[in-house]
Amino acid sequence: MSPSEQPKAKIEVKNLTKKFGDLLVLDHINFNIQKGEMVAIVGPTGCGKTTFLNCMSKLTDTTEGDIFIDGAPADPVKHNLAFVFQEPTALPWRTVAENVVYGMEVKGVPEKERKERLDTILNLVGLKDTADLYPNQVSASMMQRIAVARAFAVNPDLLLMDEPYGQLDVKLRFYLEDELVKLWQTLNSTVLFITHNIEEAVYVADRILVLTPKPTKVRAEVIVDLPRPRDFLDPKFVEIRRQVTELIRWW
Amino acid sequence: MSDMNQAGQSSQTVSNEVVVRTKAKRNITFKSVIRDERFLNVVSLIIFFSAWHYFAATGPKGTSAALATPWDTLTGLYDMMFSNLGGSTLFGHTWDSLRRVLIGFTLAVCFGIPLGLLLGISETASAILRPLVDVFRPMPPLAWISLSILWFGIGEEPKIFIIFLASFIPSVLNACSGVRMIEPELYDVVRVMGGNRWDEIRQVVLPATMPAISAGLQLSITGAWMGVLAAELVSSSSGLGYLIILGMENSDPQSVLGGMVMIAMVAWVLTASMEKIDMMLCPWRREIKGL
Repeated sequence: MSPSEQPKAKIEVKNLTKKFGDLLVLDHINFNIQKGEMVAIVGPTGCGKTTFLNCMSKLTDTTEGDIFIDGAPADPVKHNLAFVFQEPTALPWRTVAENVVYGMEVKGVPEKERKERLDTILNLVGLKDTADLYPNQVSASMMQRIAVARAFAVNPDLLLMDEPYGQLDVKLRFYLEDELVKLWQTLNSTVLFITHNIEEAVYVADRILVLTPKPTKVRAEVIVDLPRPRDFLDPKFVEIRRQVTELIRWW
Repeated sequence: MSDMNQAGQSSQTVSNEVVVRTKAKRNITFKSVIRDERFLNVVSLIIFFSAWHYFAATGPKGTSAALATPWDTLTGLYDMMFSNLGGSTLFGHTWDSLRRVLIGFTLAVCFGIPLGLLLGISETASAILRPLVDVFRPMPPLAWISLSILWFGIGEEPKIFIIFLASFIPSVLNACSGVRMIEPELYDVVRVMGGNRWDEIRQVVLPATMPAISAGLQLSITGAWMGVLAAELVSSSSGLGYLIILGMENSDPQSVLGGMVMIAMVAWVLTASMEKIDMMLCPWRREIKGL
């Protein structure tokens, strides 16, 4: 497929390739993300989604190709990257509020601004009344909300999310997806959201990239131009969901 | 949710999650008393002290001198607090032992924890130093007593040396394995934010190793206390170990038992203070309150 060719993309992924020895995992992936866009990536299990994200976040070196943010090669020190991992990664020795503020500390956000942003974010994600608890005192879903809040709090150039809600039950997932959309709309962040849940992808994303099995390429791009808040039962929603499902099934 | 709010239950909503608390009420019956934990604890202790008293009081002639009754032990302990035993009172001897432990333990911890952290963090340091640690690790510190007396004479040094050895190894090993057990994702959190190696060590390694280090302190202090007693039993003119030897030489079970009780009490105080330190070092491991 051809990547969306708009000028001045916030994020440009060019020829992203990753090999482990002879095993080709990512095969020349190309796509762009516009500023303030929420892009979801779906693909069959084991298609290298996590490898892909690790390359995007520069946790793993790429074999070939690179990721450009505002035209410059992505660099965790220079750029503001944020990552929400699949597993809860709250630091156990910091309270909820200290965890949320942590990213801003590393980024050297001034004290005063840090406090203001922390307040805003805690209110947005509803962690205000648990701000002084330690992670071992809150539930799994709250741990994930800490990670999400921490990521949004740094005002990232690119926010990467690796199936953040994969391990939660349906009711909480719906709730947190709404929360995610609210955060994203309020803070105007650029988000790359990886999931294997098609309904989730259609619900949150502006655009969905469908990946192939290994070696992974971008198989198709599906634009989701439905009004928000979206309705799971809207015929158009159902149609897009069916379309994405077909794309994953037929390779 | 309202059907959950029956007697004995309460539910509240925190951050969109329902928290329910339940308290079960039980009636007191003969069976429940018999199975009550505290009741059984007390029964167990009563039987132990009765048996002790029985054997001490009724032992055949000639052997009764080998055991004092619980009450005699207690009064003996009281007497020892004020009488001169080999140059010092009970408290004097306790302080002598304690002082050695604190010096040796502090030295061991000050060297052991940084070394353990280094072994955990640096592959190179581990490759060089780990074999040495592994060679000395299985050797019980008490095996060094003779050598340490040959090296340092019979003053304070050999005892402090033994205590150092006894508490050094647990400090090193626990700090090292504490670093090794850190979840790799926690490093990723720092790295993806653009943190450097120093950020990783300061923000992840040090706090994440604290529980293991603290557990190492517990082991170290226990080892140190055993070490000092053993060293004093072998050669000393003061300390609680010496006090026991003195009692043995005088065929005085009362002061031997008195010394043993004191040893146990100090050990208990040391362990309790380590637990306090643990709470201070790792406040995040506190119990769940109000949730």
